[in-house]
Amino acid sequence: MREFQGIITAKHPVMGDSWLMTFTAPTEVLHAARAGQFVNVLPRERAVYDPLLRRPFSVYGVAPDEGLMTILVRPYGRGGGWIVDRNIGSEIDVMGLLGNRFDIAPRSTHLLMVGGGVGAAPLLMLAREAVARKLSVTYLLGAANAGALLEASEIPGEVEYVVATEDGSAGYHGFVTDLVPDYLQWADQVFACGPGPMFESLRSVVLANRMGKRPSVQVSVERTMACGVGACLGCMVETKRGMKTSCVDGPVFDMDMVQW
Amino acid sequence: MVTVEKQQYMADLTVDLAPSNPRELVLRNPVIPASGCFGYGLEYSPMIDVQRLGAFVCKGITPKVRSGNPMPRITETPSGMLNAIGLQNPGIDGFIRKYPPTWEHWRVPAIVNISAESVEDYAMMARKLDDVAGIAGIEVNISCPNIEAGGFCFGWDARMSETVTQAVRKATTLPVIVKLSPGALDIMEIASAVEGAGADAVSLINTLVGMTIDPRTRRSKIANLTGGLSGPAVKPVAVRMVYQVASVVKIPVVGMGGISGVQDALEFFMAGASAVQVGTAVFSTPSMLTRLIDELGMWLDSNGCTSLNGIVGAANPAFGTRGESTF
Repeated sequence: MREFQGIITAKHPVMGDSWLMTFTAPTEVLHAARAGQFVNVLPRERAVYDPLLRRPFSVYGVAPDEGLMTILVRPYGRGGGWIVDRNIGSEIDVMGLLGNRFDIAPRSTHLLMVGGGVGAAPLLMLAREAVARKLSVTYLLGAANAGALLEASEIPGEVEYVVATEDGSAGYHGFVTDLVPDYLQWADQVFACGPGPMFESLRSVVLANRMGKRPSVQVSVERTMACGVGACLGCMVETKRGMKTSCVDGPVFDMDMVQW
Repeated sequence: MVTVEKQQYMADLTVDLAPSNPRELVLRNPVIPASGCFGYGLEYSPMIDVQRLGAFVCKGITPKVRSGNPMPRITETPSGMLNAIGLQNPGIDGFIRKYPPTWEHWRVPAIVNISAESVEDYAMMARKLDDVAGIAGIEVNISCPNIEAGGFCFGWDARMSETVTQAVRKATTLPVIVKLSPGALDIMEIASAVEGAGADAVSLINTLVGMTIDPRTRRSKIANLTGGLSGPAVKPVAVRMVYQVASVVKIPVVGMGGISGVQDALEFFMAGASAVQVGTAVFSTPSMLTRLIDELGMWLDSNGCTSLNGIVGAANPAFGTRGESTF
């Protein structure tokens, strides 16, 4: 965990309005990065104090040999827009790695990933890790329309990529969570990241369709965050084991442990 | 090979925040992370050399364990933020078991921030902390509601502030810093009252009570409805109050409120602060804390000051020709 200045080396538009931002990062940070972890990016010049707080972004990918890290940035609200407006060659002030990681159980062979919107990012990193371990991965991604989906070229070829759109312009016509029941008997573990309503419907379909506690579900939650290191206690998640920080104890939690 | 850290400046940055207390509170430098923004000192250890700091103030401790407020607890505002964490902490007994045994082996002095809702509870906590190894001082947060006085904030009333300070003073020989509330009508009256009641120092300002509403949900962005405003947005208010308080008390003043760099810190010193606390800025740039020490020392060097005392109160006529001011 450290602060570092990266240099932006590439910008690639994805999902309609978002950008994959690639920047240089220290080797030890890149080697340590695991799916689910995140970095906090300063959304301003250092000597200008607005917007004040860093913004959290899941690691989308790392290329340790090239010294590069990629994050997925949606230019919504104050901060996100400033970051995507940075030009190639400019500096980016990053703090990381932060947070825990998705945990693939030793005996799991079938992994189901359920993503919504920019929730696609940590799951893509996880899918790459799983494929490298020769595990079977099905990646369900939901979006408002075809243009807001992640291009199939971003997904490793070994992954079964299934999409859902709310307007029916690609794949299944409806919510991505509607697809989940079909995979619950197959999956050893489910990993999810997306907006709050997606988690609510995911939880409903899982509770209604699974047998006992299998498969387990790990969710990566998003909270407004100030420090990123467990000091301010601003980003809490209420769990059955008490209040937990989403920045250090999370962002990945067992769905069954969270008080929804 | 042991690497010896090379100091980048010549100026003497040491300061004693409890000069009339035999137990004294001598700081190697005047840079202190503020309560609530630095956890218990351990959280930032992977990122900065915590031992280089002048001191640190831990999160607010209460008589009993508190799980804090519902979410959301924080929201960003123009050049600032609102927080309503709700003093989440393990309670005084859990705290004493958990943290001081580690701090005992640290070079950096640890100051414990305490909050309570009755005079007796403040005194009880001070008594329990009095002989705990690893604790260098107490910061008394008087921006709490006094349950025995209908929930009126201790720190907004000179008599209640005085009573709390006296009770804590009697309960411990540790250096006592009273943290003042900017909500007080006349902060100079409060500062004089706590000085008379035996405080070794005062620190200010605590956060300003604020609110922000999301037009989409038609609700406050903070579950607690109101929160404490901090960050660069509050700095001019803080400098003004430090200037006022430093004009009327003889005890050391610890200034804070929106400090994000050396230029901000200099304003507080020149207003009359002997030390500064840094809060919100730590969140976005933790490395700023240690950089601030170096930049302060180098600023003094290049401005002909051999010690910090050369600038304390430089902008405040109440300090007269104190120290070695070159201004």
